[in-house]
Amino acid sequence: MANENNLTAKNAKQIAMGTKGFTLRCFANTFATFAFYAFLFLVVISVVTPAQTRRRKRTPRPGSTVQQAPAGPAAKYSSFLHSSEKHKSLACNACHKLPTEWTAKRGFPDAADFPDHDACVRCHRQQFFTRQAFAGTGPSICTVCHVRAAPREDGRFAFGKPNTANQSTKPKDERQFTIEFPHDKHQNVIASLRRFGSSENEARFVRASFQSFDDQPKLDYNNCTICHQPNDSRETISLIPPRAGDPSPNRYFKTTPHSHDTCFACHWKSQKPAGDDCAGCHKPAATFIGIDSPPRKSARFSHEGGKGEHVMECTTCHINITRASTLRGLTPDVPVTACATCHKDSKKTTYPKIITIEEELAQFKKTSSCTYCHTPDIGKKKPPASHEAAVQ
Amino acid sequence: MITRAILLLAFCLSTFSFCFVAHTQMPPAPRGVIRLKVKYKTGDATKELPRKRFFLIKGSLEENKSLIEKMKAVDLLSRDCYYRSLGASDALIKWLKDNDCESVYCRGIDERYVTGSEAIPEFQAAYTQGLRDLKTPELARRWLTTNLSPGLRAGFYNRKQEVINALLKQAEETSKTKVLSVMTDRKGTAYLTDIEPGTYTISNLVGSETEKTSILWACEKEVKAVDLAVAMKRPFTLSNEKDPKVKCEIVEQPLPVCNQAAK
Repeated sequence: MANENNLTAKNAKQIAMGTKGFTLRCFANTFATFAFYAFLFLVVISVVTPAQTRRRKRTPRPGSTVQQAPAGPAAKYSSFLHSSEKHKSLACNACHKLPTEWTAKRGFPDAADFPDHDACVRCHRQQFFTRQAFAGTGPSICTVCHVRAAPREDGRFAFGKPNTANQSTKPKDERQFTIEFPHDKHQNVIASLRRFGSSENEARFVRASFQSFDDQPKLDYNNCTICHQPNDSRETISLIPPRAGDPSPNRYFKTTPHSHDTCFACHWKSQKPAGDDCAGCHKPAATFIGIDSPPRKSARFSHEGGKGEHVMECTTCHINITRASTLRGLTPDVPVTACATCHKDSKKTTYPKIITIEEELAQFKKTSSCTYCHTPDIGKKKPPASHEAAVQ
Repeated sequence: MITRAILLLAFCLSTFSFCFVAHTQMPPAPRGVIRLKVKYKTGDATKELPRKRFFLIKGSLEENKSLIEKMKAVDLLSRDCYYRSLGASDALIKWLKDNDCESVYCRGIDERYVTGSEAIPEFQAAYTQGLRDLKTPELARRWLTTNLSPGLRAGFYNRKQEVINALLKQAEETSKTKVLSVMTDRKGTAYLTDIEPGTYTISNLVGSETEKTSILWACEKEVKAVDLAVAMKRPFTLSNEKDPKVKCEIVEQPLPVCNQAAK
């Protein structure tokens, strides 16, 4: 009994202590929760409010503005225009970080990347964080860069092709900038690019003789290959998507540059226009520019073909390229006379199996179509006088 | 009634005149083409002049006399002298000469010129700097020129361009016509297409350096409307040898021998 009493007293004491402990634990838990939320609140306040204040105090970049964009229909902010009044007034580096975090993404310091969120939020807080913004499928402003407006969806459009307008119906193959590239200046300066790992290190046949010969290979002056590589696959020209319903399987003869790497190899630091001078090469276009390349007329021509005879200097056939000071209106036309230097009856003794222009003309007389060299749409047209003249 | 008749007549006349104009519009004026071929004789050999820019200036030699006098008076340092004046190494000067280059942008720079026994001191220094900034050896080599001083990079080319641009400005002001330019290919050939018929002066404006000499051409050419196919058969040849058929002013000067102190 005494034991029982002792136990009861002990239990009561334990219960009392347990209750007290429980109360203390409860209090501690409550306090910890409160402290956590208070801390969280303070963090949010200190991050959001002073950040705004700091931004206001920060010396604005030339031409930059921190004014909030006015509220408007969500759709208005689902497309991005560099040419809007506000965006136009900003310097490129007000939004685009130069260089980007290149070591993580690319093998070279680059400028081609979407701006950080901060660049957009600075003016578009309303479009990101208001109740109106979250109505429906989420803030539509996110879909300028992101494929979907969802916090865990970080999939983005390819850089250079943000959502311009009506994204569901319009292919993203329009650009807001033209590119300035003077072929003539570059051809003045650059003679050729030796591909690393080739030519220089390759074994070369030399003349075995006791007589002394000059075995130095002839200097190469073909500088077009720096930017225009043989195009076996369309995937290599990521900025130029295939045209819908394009009948020709290999419409593009050569690639076009698709990254800053080639440009920055010379223009990164001080060679003007340097890497931080976006406007040195990219000029805002008045309207969207559809990406189009010259139509291919001689579909069966291959730069790498011709039993090696086509591999010559580009300007031998593209006779107008060295005079081009701008890309505007530039067409890499090849006059048929360039073809006639080989593809002509009188040259047949040297090249017995090639198709000649005379044969093509004869084919037209029989079938009203010139398909040895041309695509069907071009081939059904009457051969121009230049073709007749070329074979005379 | 009379008013109606007048109106009807006016309508018929205007319709007729519109149709008449539409059907009798002249075809676009025929244009001219020049196939340019540039050769030079050095020793016993005749060579084609590759990668040199030639300009098409409206007007005869006589009409461009003052411009030609200015061209002749240009005293531009030769490539070797320019780079020596900057204190460039012999190895760099040899590299430029061997590769027929006016600037370091001209060719991709192979590894052997960056490291190893053939290394060019200027390239080595730029490469070392590049390794610090660009992290990878491959990128440091490919972007090597970004770490060279402006003078070494393209100083000679820029000086030459300044002179050419000043001459071009004068040429365009005198002729009131835009000057076209083309560059010769490895065989010394270039095409000037879509030219308005007339008399022109074809010139390289500043002497082109060959192995031993610098040659300046200013030649007169009468351009007629002609098809490219015809022009292909009849090239207009510039040479440092006298040709009585071609009206030219040629100035050929030996390249100076320069020392380190040359200015």
